[in-house]
Amino acid sequence: MSARVAALAAGAIAIALVLAQDVYPATPLYHGWQYALALAIALVVVLAYANGARRGDDGVVGRRLIVAMLGAAVVAVAGLAAGLLGPDTAQVIGTPGTVTPVPALGAAAFFAPADADAIASGGAGVILRRHNAGEIVLGPPSRRVLGESLVYLEARPAAYVDVYDENGAHLTVTQPTNASFLSPVLLFHDRQRIGALDVPLDTFATPARHRIIRALYFSAHDLAQFDHAGAQLDSSRPGLILSASDDQGRSLGITLAPSGRGIVFAGLRIRATIGTYPALAIAAAPPTWALVAGIALFMGGCIWGVLRPRGRIARSRQQRAQGA
Amino acid sequence: MRRLLVIVVVVFLSGCYNAPDPGGAASGGPGALAGAPAQSFDVRRTDGRPDSLARYRGRVVLLNLWATWCPPCREEMPALERFARENAGKVVVLGVDQGEAAAVAAAYARERGVTFPILVDEQQQYGRTYEGIGLPTSVVVGRDGRIVKGIDGAMTIDQMRAAVAPALTR
Repeated sequence: MSARVAALAAGAIAIALVLAQDVYPATPLYHGWQYALALAIALVVVLAYANGARRGDDGVVGRRLIVAMLGAAVVAVAGLAAGLLGPDTAQVIGTPGTVTPVPALGAAAFFAPADADAIASGGAGVILRRHNAGEIVLGPPSRRVLGESLVYLEARPAAYVDVYDENGAHLTVTQPTNASFLSPVLLFHDRQRIGALDVPLDTFATPARHRIIRALYFSAHDLAQFDHAGAQLDSSRPGLILSASDDQGRSLGITLAPSGRGIVFAGLRIRATIGTYPALAIAAAPPTWALVAGIALFMGGCIWGVLRPRGRIARSRQQRAQGA
Repeated sequence: MRRLLVIVVVVFLSGCYNAPDPGGAASGGPGALAGAPAQSFDVRRTDGRPDSLARYRGRVVLLNLWATWCPPCREEMPALERFARENAGKVVVLGVDQGEAAAVAAAYARERGVTFPILVDEQQQYGRTYEGIGLPTSVVVGRDGRIVKGIDGAMTIDQMRAAVAPALTR
Protein backbone atom coordinates (compact mmCIF):
# COMPACT_ATOMS: atom_id res chain seq x y z
CA MET A 1 0.00 0.00 0.00
CA SER A 2 1.48 3.35 -0.98
CA ALA A 3 1.89 6.18 1.52
CA ARG A 4 -0.72 8.16 -0.45
CA VAL A 5 -3.40 5.47 -0.14
CA ALA A 6 -2.59 4.98 3.54
CA ALA A 7 -2.86 8.71 4.22
CA LEU A 8 -6.15 9.05 2.33
CA ALA A 9 -7.56 6.01 4.15
CA ALA A 10 -6.40 7.40 7.51
CA GLY A 11 -7.99 10.78 6.71
CA ALA A 12 -11.26 9.17 5.65
CA ILE A 13 -11.33 6.98 8.76
CA ALA A 14 -10.65 9.99 11.03
CA ILE A 15 -13.50 11.92 9.41
CA ALA A 16 -15.85 8.94 9.66
CA LEU A 17 -15.02 8.48 13.36
CA VAL A 18 -15.57 12.14 14.23
CA LEU A 19 -18.75 12.28 12.13
CA ALA A 20 -20.02 9.24 14.00
CA GLN A 21 -19.25 11.01 17.27
CA ASP A 22 -21.38 13.92 16.09
CA VAL A 23 -24.27 11.79 14.81
CA TYR A 24 -24.36 9.23 17.64
CA PRO A 25 -22.84 11.15 20.53
CA ALA A 26 -24.08 8.92 23.37
CA THR A 27 -22.24 5.79 22.22
CA PRO A 28 -19.65 4.94 24.92
CA LEU A 29 -17.13 3.83 22.26
CA TYR A 30 -16.23 7.46 21.48
CA HIS A 31 -15.21 8.13 25.05
CA GLY A 32 -12.77 5.28 25.37
CA TRP A 33 -9.02 5.69 25.00
CA GLN A 34 -9.11 3.37 21.99
CA TYR A 35 -11.12 5.90 20.01
CA ALA A 36 -8.72 8.70 20.91
CA LEU A 37 -5.75 6.53 20.04
CA ALA A 38 -7.26 5.68 16.64
CA LEU A 39 -7.80 9.38 15.92
CA ALA A 40 -4.28 10.23 17.06
CA ILE A 41 -2.72 7.51 14.86
CA ALA A 42 -4.76 8.73 11.89
CA LEU A 43 -3.58 12.26 12.61
CA VAL A 44 0.07 11.17 12.71
CA VAL A 45 -0.27 9.24 9.41
CA VAL A 46 -1.96 12.20 7.71
CA LEU A 47 0.57 14.75 8.97
CA ALA A 48 3.53 12.50 8.10
CA TYR A 49 2.26 12.16 4.52
CA ALA A 50 1.60 15.90 4.28
CA ASN A 51 5.12 16.60 5.50
CA GLY A 52 6.61 14.29 2.87
CA ALA A 53 4.36 15.68 0.16
CA ARG A 54 5.49 19.19 1.05
CA ARG A 55 9.06 18.09 0.31
CA GLY A 56 7.90 16.70 -3.07
CA ASP A 57 7.96 12.98 -2.15
CA ASP A 58 4.67 12.32 -4.01
CA GLY A 59 5.00 14.78 -6.88
CA VAL A 60 2.34 17.26 -7.98
CA VAL A 61 -0.56 15.07 -6.81
CA GLY A 62 0.99 14.81 -3.35
CA ARG A 63 1.34 18.59 -3.10
CA ARG A 64 -2.33 18.97 -4.01
CA LEU A 65 -3.37 16.34 -1.49
CA ILE A 66 -1.81 18.44 1.28
CA VAL A 67 -5.10 20.37 1.27
CA ALA A 68 -7.03 17.14 1.85
CA MET A 69 -4.62 16.12 4.61
CA LEU A 70 -5.04 19.50 6.24
CA GLY A 71 -8.84 19.00 6.21
CA ALA A 72 -8.57 15.54 7.75
CA ALA A 73 -6.19 16.91 10.40
CA VAL A 74 -8.64 19.69 11.31
CA VAL A 75 -11.42 17.14 11.80
CA ALA A 76 -9.21 14.76 13.79
CA VAL A 77 -7.95 17.55 16.07
CA ALA A 78 -11.54 18.76 16.56
CA GLY A 79 -12.59 15.24 17.54
CA LEU A 80 -9.66 14.87 19.95
CA ALA A 81 -10.24 18.31 21.47
CA ALA A 82 -13.94 17.59 21.97
CA GLY A 83 -13.03 14.46 23.90
CA LEU A 84 -10.37 16.17 25.99
CA LEU A 85 -12.05 19.51 26.68
CA GLY A 86 -15.72 18.63 26.38
CA PRO A 87 -17.87 17.38 29.24
CA ASP A 88 -18.26 13.75 30.24
CA THR A 89 -21.17 11.97 28.66
CA ALA A 90 -24.06 12.34 31.08
CA GLN A 91 -27.80 11.98 31.22
CA VAL A 92 -29.70 14.26 33.59
CA ILE A 93 -33.06 12.85 34.61
CA GLY A 94 -35.41 15.39 36.13
CA THR A 95 -38.88 15.10 37.59
CA PRO A 96 -41.48 17.12 35.66
CA GLY A 97 -41.73 20.63 37.10
CA THR A 98 -38.36 20.61 38.86
CA VAL A 99 -35.09 22.44 38.33
CA THR A 100 -31.83 20.48 38.32
CA PRO A 101 -28.37 22.06 38.29
CA VAL A 102 -26.11 21.01 35.42
CA PRO A 103 -22.58 22.04 36.46
CA ALA A 104 -21.04 20.73 33.23
CA LEU A 105 -22.92 23.43 31.32
CA GLY A 106 -22.92 26.09 34.04
CA ALA A 107 -26.69 25.97 33.78
CA ALA A 108 -29.88 24.86 35.47
CA ALA A 109 -32.28 22.60 33.60
CA PHE A 110 -35.98 23.24 34.07
CA PHE A 111 -37.95 20.11 33.28
CA ALA A 112 -41.38 21.13 32.01
CA PRO A 113 -44.41 20.09 34.04
CA ALA A 114 -46.18 17.14 32.48
CA ASP A 115 -49.67 15.77 32.89
CA ALA A 116 -50.97 12.48 31.49
CA ASP A 117 -51.47 13.97 28.01
CA ALA A 118 -47.91 15.34 27.89
CA ILE A 119 -46.53 11.93 28.89
CA ALA A 120 -48.66 10.18 26.26
CA SER A 121 -47.58 12.55 23.48
CA GLY A 122 -43.93 12.70 24.59
CA GLY A 123 -43.97 16.40 23.79
CA ALA A 124 -42.51 17.81 27.00
CA GLY A 125 -39.34 19.86 26.75
CA VAL A 126 -36.48 21.16 28.87
CA ILE A 127 -35.35 24.77 29.31
CA LEU A 128 -31.68 25.44 30.01
CA ARG A 129 -31.08 28.60 32.04
CA ARG A 130 -27.49 29.81 32.03
CA HIS A 131 -26.03 32.42 34.34
CA ASN A 132 -25.74 35.75 32.50
CA ALA A 133 -26.96 34.16 29.27
CA GLY A 134 -30.25 33.54 27.57
CA GLU A 135 -32.56 30.58 27.92
CA ILE A 136 -32.28 27.65 25.57
CA VAL A 137 -35.52 25.82 24.91
CA LEU A 138 -34.98 22.20 23.91
CA GLY A 139 -37.85 20.32 22.31
CA PRO A 140 -37.81 16.58 21.65
CA PRO A 141 -36.03 16.60 18.26
CA SER A 142 -33.70 19.54 18.80
CA ARG A 143 -30.00 19.50 19.68
CA ARG A 144 -27.66 22.36 20.37
CA VAL A 145 -23.91 22.74 20.48
CA LEU A 146 -22.71 24.86 23.42
CA GLY A 147 -18.95 25.25 23.21
CA GLU A 148 -17.51 21.73 23.30
CA SER A 149 -20.82 20.32 24.55
CA LEU A 150 -23.66 18.84 22.59
CA VAL A 151 -26.99 18.93 24.42
CA TYR A 152 -30.09 17.13 23.28
CA LEU A 153 -33.11 15.31 24.66
CA GLU A 154 -33.42 11.56 24.96
CA ALA A 155 -36.91 10.13 25.31
CA ARG A 156 -37.17 7.77 28.26
CA PRO A 157 -40.13 5.58 29.14
CA ALA A 158 -42.49 7.26 31.58
CA ALA A 159 -45.92 6.67 33.01
CA TYR A 160 -48.39 9.02 34.64
CA VAL A 161 -50.29 7.16 37.34
CA ASP A 162 -53.76 8.11 38.56
CA VAL A 163 -55.06 6.07 41.49
CA TYR A 164 -58.58 6.18 42.96
CA ASP A 165 -60.21 4.37 45.85
CA GLU A 166 -63.25 2.10 45.51
CA ASN A 167 -65.52 5.19 45.70
CA GLY A 168 -63.69 6.97 42.90
CA ALA A 169 -61.88 9.43 45.18
CA HIS A 170 -58.42 10.37 43.93
CA LEU A 171 -55.51 9.14 46.07
CA THR A 172 -52.04 10.52 46.69
CA VAL A 173 -49.29 8.71 44.80
CA THR A 174 -45.83 8.71 46.33
CA GLN A 175 -42.50 7.24 45.28
CA PRO A 176 -40.81 6.21 48.53
CA THR A 177 -37.70 4.89 46.81
CA ASN A 178 -37.11 7.92 44.56
CA ALA A 179 -35.90 11.45 45.09
CA SER A 180 -39.17 12.70 43.57
CA PHE A 181 -41.30 11.51 46.49
CA LEU A 182 -44.48 13.41 45.58
CA SER A 183 -44.54 12.74 41.85
CA PRO A 184 -47.20 10.63 40.10
CA VAL A 185 -44.87 10.39 37.09
CA LEU A 186 -42.82 7.19 37.03
CA LEU A 187 -39.48 7.67 35.28
CA PHE A 188 -38.21 4.09 35.62
CA HIS A 189 -34.72 4.70 37.00
CA ASP A 190 -34.18 0.96 37.55
CA ARG A 191 -34.33 -2.11 35.34
CA GLN A 192 -35.17 -5.75 35.88
CA ARG A 193 -34.24 -8.77 33.81
CA ILE A 194 -37.06 -11.17 33.00
CA GLY A 195 -35.86 -14.03 30.86
CA ALA A 196 -34.37 -12.48 27.76
CA LEU A 197 -36.00 -9.11 28.44
CA ASP A 198 -34.42 -6.26 30.37
CA VAL A 199 -37.34 -4.02 31.28
CA PRO A 200 -37.60 -0.65 33.06
CA LEU A 201 -38.76 -0.83 36.67
CA ASP A 202 -40.23 1.68 39.12
CA THR A 203 -42.18 1.62 42.37
CA PHE A 204 -44.99 3.77 43.71
CA ALA A 205 -47.18 3.73 46.78
CA THR A 206 -50.62 4.85 47.89
CA PRO A 207 -50.10 5.57 51.60
CA ALA A 208 -53.80 6.20 52.20
CA ARG A 209 -54.50 2.55 51.26
CA HIS A 210 -51.17 1.08 52.42
CA ARG A 211 -50.27 -0.29 49.01
CA ILE A 212 -46.81 -0.54 47.46
CA ILE A 213 -46.82 -1.29 43.75
CA ARG A 214 -43.93 -2.31 41.55
CA ALA A 215 -44.36 -1.35 37.91
CA LEU A 216 -42.53 -3.03 35.06
CA TYR A 217 -42.69 -1.19 31.74
CA PHE A 218 -43.42 -3.31 28.69
CA SER A 219 -43.41 -1.86 25.20
CA ALA A 220 -46.08 -3.06 22.78
CA HIS A 221 -43.38 -5.16 21.10
CA ASP A 222 -42.44 -6.83 24.39
CA LEU A 223 -46.09 -7.52 25.22
CA ALA A 224 -46.56 -9.13 21.82
CA GLN A 225 -43.99 -11.76 22.83
CA PHE A 226 -46.22 -12.73 25.74
CA ASP A 227 -49.16 -12.82 23.34
CA HIS A 228 -47.34 -15.44 21.29
CA ALA A 229 -47.01 -17.50 24.45
CA GLY A 230 -50.78 -17.84 24.56
CA ALA A 231 -51.62 -15.09 27.03
CA GLN A 232 -54.64 -12.95 26.23
CA LEU A 233 -53.03 -9.53 26.26
CA ASP A 234 -53.71 -6.27 24.47
CA SER A 235 -50.37 -6.01 22.74
CA SER A 236 -51.32 -3.07 20.53
CA ARG A 237 -50.01 -0.57 23.07
CA PRO A 238 -47.46 -0.49 25.89
CA GLY A 239 -48.46 -1.60 29.34
CA LEU A 240 -47.31 -1.92 32.91
CA ILE A 241 -47.11 -5.22 34.73
CA LEU A 242 -48.09 -4.27 38.27
CA SER A 243 -47.40 -6.30 41.38
CA ALA A 244 -48.90 -5.06 44.64
CA SER A 245 -48.10 -5.68 48.27
CA ASP A 246 -49.37 -4.17 51.49
CA ASP A 247 -47.13 -2.33 53.91
CA GLN A 248 -46.46 -5.62 55.74
CA GLY A 249 -44.95 -7.00 52.54
CA ARG A 250 -47.81 -9.41 51.79
CA SER A 251 -48.32 -9.97 48.07
CA LEU A 252 -51.67 -8.80 46.71
CA GLY A 253 -51.31 -10.10 43.17
CA ILE A 254 -50.07 -9.18 39.75
CA THR A 255 -51.84 -7.70 36.74
CA LEU A 256 -51.39 -5.89 33.44
CA ALA A 257 -52.36 -2.22 33.11
CA PRO A 258 -52.60 -1.25 29.44
CA SER A 259 -51.83 2.40 28.74
CA GLY A 260 -54.77 4.71 29.31
CA ARG A 261 -57.17 2.01 30.45
CA GLY A 262 -58.43 1.95 34.03
CA ILE A 263 -58.12 -1.32 35.94
CA VAL A 264 -59.25 -2.48 39.37
CA PHE A 265 -56.36 -4.02 41.26
CA ALA A 266 -55.51 -4.65 44.93
CA GLY A 267 -58.53 -2.63 46.03
CA LEU A 268 -57.53 0.34 43.89
CA ARG A 269 -58.62 1.78 40.57
CA ILE A 270 -55.48 2.51 38.61
CA ARG A 271 -55.05 4.26 35.29
CA ALA A 272 -51.51 4.42 33.92
CA THR A 273 -50.86 6.63 30.91
CA ILE A 274 -47.67 5.42 29.31
CA GLY A 275 -45.41 7.40 27.05
CA THR A 276 -42.10 9.18 27.29
CA TYR A 277 -40.52 12.04 29.19
CA PRO A 278 -37.20 13.55 28.15
CA ALA A 279 -33.87 13.30 29.89
CA LEU A 280 -31.24 15.90 29.14
CA ALA A 281 -28.24 14.31 27.45
CA ILE A 282 -24.84 15.99 27.42
CA ALA A 283 -21.94 14.79 25.32
CA ALA A 284 -18.67 16.11 24.03
CA ALA A 285 -19.02 17.18 20.40
CA PRO A 286 -16.65 18.59 17.80
CA PRO A 287 -17.51 22.15 16.76
CA THR A 288 -19.69 22.19 13.64
CA TRP A 289 -17.49 24.77 11.87
CA ALA A 290 -14.44 22.51 12.23
CA LEU A 291 -16.33 19.52 10.86
CA VAL A 292 -17.72 21.42 7.88
CA ALA A 293 -14.43 23.18 7.07
CA GLY A 294 -12.36 20.01 7.53
CA ILE A 295 -14.61 17.84 5.37
CA ALA A 296 -14.79 20.54 2.68
CA LEU A 297 -10.98 20.79 2.58
CA PHE A 298 -10.61 17.00 2.49
CA MET A 299 -13.12 16.59 -0.35
CA GLY A 300 -11.76 19.58 -2.25
CA GLY A 301 -8.17 18.39 -1.86
CA CYS A 302 -9.05 14.89 -3.06
CA ILE A 303 -10.87 16.21 -6.15
CA TRP A 304 -7.99 18.57 -6.92
CA GLY A 305 -5.55 15.70 -6.53
CA VAL A 306 -7.51 13.49 -8.95
CA LEU A 307 -7.56 16.16 -11.64
CA ARG A 308 -4.58 15.83 -14.00
CA PRO A 309 -2.17 18.72 -13.72
CA ARG A 310 -2.54 21.19 -16.62
CA GLY A 311 1.13 21.09 -17.57
CA ARG A 312 1.01 17.32 -17.85
CA ILE A 313 -2.19 17.48 -19.95
CA ALA A 314 -0.57 20.00 -22.26
CA ARG A 315 2.56 17.85 -22.59
CA SER A 316 0.51 14.77 -23.28
CA ARG A 317 -1.46 16.56 -26.03
CA GLN A 318 1.79 17.80 -27.56
CA GLN A 319 3.22 14.27 -27.54
CA ARG A 320 0.07 12.90 -29.21
CA ALA A 321 0.21 15.61 -31.86
CA GLN A 322 3.87 14.87 -32.58
CA GLY A 323 3.12 11.17 -32.83
CA ALA A 324 0.37 11.86 -35.39
CA MET B 1 13.54 10.26 19.05
CA ARG B 2 10.82 12.38 17.42
CA ARG B 3 8.74 9.26 16.80
CA LEU B 4 9.08 8.29 20.43
CA LEU B 5 7.93 11.77 21.44
CA VAL B 6 4.88 11.48 19.18
CA ILE B 7 3.98 8.10 20.71
CA VAL B 8 4.33 9.50 24.24
CA VAL B 9 2.08 12.46 23.35
CA VAL B 10 -0.50 10.18 21.73
CA VAL B 11 -0.62 7.88 24.77
CA PHE B 12 -0.88 10.89 27.11
CA LEU B 13 -3.75 12.38 25.10
CA SER B 14 -5.54 9.03 25.09
CA GLY B 15 -5.21 8.79 28.86
CA CYS B 16 -6.72 12.23 29.29
CA TYR B 17 -9.81 11.21 27.35
CA ASN B 18 -13.09 11.65 29.14
CA ALA B 19 -14.73 8.57 30.58
CA PRO B 20 -18.50 8.29 30.43
CA ASP B 21 -20.52 9.39 33.45
CA PRO B 22 -23.87 7.70 34.00
CA GLY B 23 -25.37 10.89 35.44
CA GLY B 24 -28.68 10.64 37.21
CA ALA B 25 -31.38 12.48 39.01
CA ALA B 26 -30.67 15.08 41.59
CA SER B 27 -32.95 16.44 44.26
CA GLY B 28 -31.91 18.74 47.05
CA GLY B 29 -35.27 18.72 48.80
CA PRO B 30 -37.22 21.87 49.73
CA GLY B 31 -34.30 23.31 51.72
CA ALA B 32 -32.34 23.77 48.50
CA LEU B 33 -34.96 26.02 46.91
CA ALA B 34 -34.21 29.27 48.79
CA GLY B 35 -33.90 32.18 46.37
CA ALA B 36 -35.64 30.46 43.46
CA PRO B 37 -38.83 31.89 41.96
CA ALA B 38 -41.88 30.21 43.49
CA GLN B 39 -43.75 28.26 40.82
CA SER B 40 -47.53 28.53 40.76
CA PHE B 41 -50.18 26.20 39.37
CA ASP B 42 -53.86 26.84 38.84
CA VAL B 43 -55.89 24.47 40.97
CA ARG B 44 -59.15 24.63 42.90
CA ARG B 45 -59.94 25.16 46.54
CA THR B 46 -61.94 22.61 48.50
CA ASP B 47 -65.04 24.72 47.79
CA GLY B 48 -64.40 24.48 44.05
CA ARG B 49 -63.22 28.04 43.49
CA PRO B 50 -60.08 28.45 41.32
CA ASP B 51 -56.98 29.53 43.19
CA SER B 52 -53.19 29.49 42.96
CA LEU B 53 -50.08 30.69 44.76
CA ALA B 54 -49.65 33.45 42.17
CA ARG B 55 -52.83 35.16 43.39
CA TYR B 56 -51.05 36.04 46.64
CA ARG B 57 -48.07 37.79 45.03
CA GLY B 58 -47.03 40.81 47.12
CA ARG B 59 -47.81 39.05 50.39
CA VAL B 60 -45.80 36.69 52.54
CA VAL B 61 -47.12 33.15 52.08
CA LEU B 62 -46.58 30.03 54.16
CA LEU B 63 -47.38 27.21 51.73
CA ASN B 64 -47.99 23.89 53.47
CA LEU B 65 -48.14 20.64 51.50
CA TRP B 66 -50.09 17.97 53.32
CA ALA B 67 -52.47 15.02 52.98
CA THR B 68 -55.13 13.56 55.26
CA TRP B 69 -53.40 10.16 55.49
CA CYS B 70 -50.15 11.71 56.74
CA PRO B 71 -49.81 11.45 60.58
CA PRO B 72 -47.23 14.30 60.97
CA CYS B 73 -49.48 16.55 58.84
CA ARG B 74 -52.40 15.84 61.15
CA GLU B 75 -50.24 16.64 64.17
CA GLU B 76 -49.06 19.90 62.61
CA MET B 77 -52.49 21.13 61.49
CA PRO B 78 -53.65 22.66 64.83
CA ALA B 79 -50.43 24.68 65.11
CA LEU B 80 -50.82 25.80 61.51
CA GLU B 81 -54.39 26.94 62.20
CA ARG B 82 -53.25 28.84 65.29
CA PHE B 83 -50.44 30.45 63.33
CA ALA B 84 -52.84 31.46 60.55
CA ARG B 85 -55.22 33.16 63.02
CA GLU B 86 -52.35 34.82 64.89
CA ASN B 87 -50.84 36.26 61.68
CA ALA B 88 -54.03 37.10 59.78
CA GLY B 89 -53.30 40.13 57.60
CA LYS B 90 -49.53 39.61 57.80
CA VAL B 91 -49.01 36.10 56.46
CA VAL B 92 -51.19 34.06 54.11
CA VAL B 93 -51.30 30.41 55.10
CA LEU B 94 -52.12 28.18 52.13
CA GLY B 95 -52.67 24.48 52.63
CA VAL B 96 -52.15 22.39 49.52
CA ASP B 97 -53.58 18.89 49.73
CA GLN B 98 -51.47 16.47 47.70
CA GLY B 99 -53.25 14.10 45.37
CA GLU B 100 -56.52 13.61 47.21
CA ALA B 101 -60.09 14.31 46.20
CA ALA B 102 -61.54 17.70 47.13
CA ALA B 103 -64.31 16.08 49.19
CA VAL B 104 -61.78 14.19 51.33
CA ALA B 105 -59.68 17.29 52.01
CA ALA B 106 -62.78 19.42 52.65
CA ALA B 107 -64.26 16.93 55.13
CA TYR B 108 -60.99 16.78 57.02
CA ALA B 109 -60.62 20.58 57.16
CA ARG B 110 -64.21 21.01 58.32
CA GLU B 111 -63.81 18.36 61.00
CA ARG B 112 -60.61 20.00 62.34
CA GLY B 113 -61.93 23.56 62.14
CA VAL B 114 -59.37 24.69 59.57
CA THR B 115 -60.15 28.23 58.39
CA PHE B 116 -57.24 28.98 56.03
CA PRO B 117 -57.68 28.17 52.34
CA ILE B 118 -56.98 24.60 51.24
CA LEU B 119 -55.99 24.09 47.60
CA VAL B 120 -56.63 20.68 46.08
CA ASP B 121 -53.65 19.60 43.99
CA GLU B 122 -54.74 16.24 42.57
CA GLN B 123 -51.84 16.14 40.11
CA GLN B 124 -49.35 16.88 42.91
CA GLN B 125 -47.79 19.66 40.85
CA TYR B 126 -46.83 21.72 43.91
CA GLY B 127 -45.39 18.66 45.61
CA ARG B 128 -43.20 17.83 42.62
CA THR B 129 -42.02 21.37 42.05
CA TYR B 130 -41.23 22.08 45.68
CA GLU B 131 -39.30 18.82 45.83
CA GLY B 132 -41.27 17.42 48.71
CA ILE B 133 -39.24 14.50 50.01
CA GLY B 134 -41.95 13.74 52.54
CA LEU B 135 -45.07 15.26 54.03
CA PRO B 136 -45.62 17.79 55.40
CA THR B 137 -43.40 20.16 53.44
CA SER B 138 -43.60 23.91 53.98
CA VAL B 139 -42.33 26.74 51.82
CA VAL B 140 -42.10 30.41 52.84
CA VAL B 141 -42.61 32.70 49.83
CA GLY B 142 -41.59 36.35 50.07
CA ARG B 143 -43.50 39.37 48.76
CA ASP B 144 -41.29 39.33 45.66
CA GLY B 145 -42.52 35.84 44.75
CA ARG B 146 -39.23 34.16 45.62
CA ILE B 147 -38.77 31.27 48.00
CA VAL B 148 -37.32 32.39 51.32
CA LYS B 149 -37.11 29.00 52.94
CA GLY B 150 -38.17 25.40 52.38
CA ILE B 151 -38.81 23.14 55.36
CA ASP B 152 -39.14 19.37 55.35
CA GLY B 153 -41.27 17.91 58.15
CA ALA B 154 -43.75 19.14 60.71
CA MET B 155 -43.12 22.43 62.52
CA THR B 156 -44.17 23.78 65.89
CA ILE B 157 -45.78 27.22 66.02
CA ASP B 158 -42.48 28.71 67.23
CA GLN B 159 -40.70 27.20 64.25
CA MET B 160 -43.36 28.68 61.97
CA ARG B 161 -42.83 32.13 63.49
CA ALA B 162 -39.07 31.80 63.06
CA ALA B 163 -39.45 30.56 59.46
CA VAL B 164 -41.54 33.53 58.26
CA ALA B 165 -39.68 36.22 60.25
CA PRO B 166 -37.00 36.88 57.57
CA ALA B 167 -39.70 37.27 54.91
CA LEU B 168 -41.64 39.79 57.02
CA THR B 169 -38.61 42.01 57.53
CA ARG B 170 -37.75 42.22 53.80
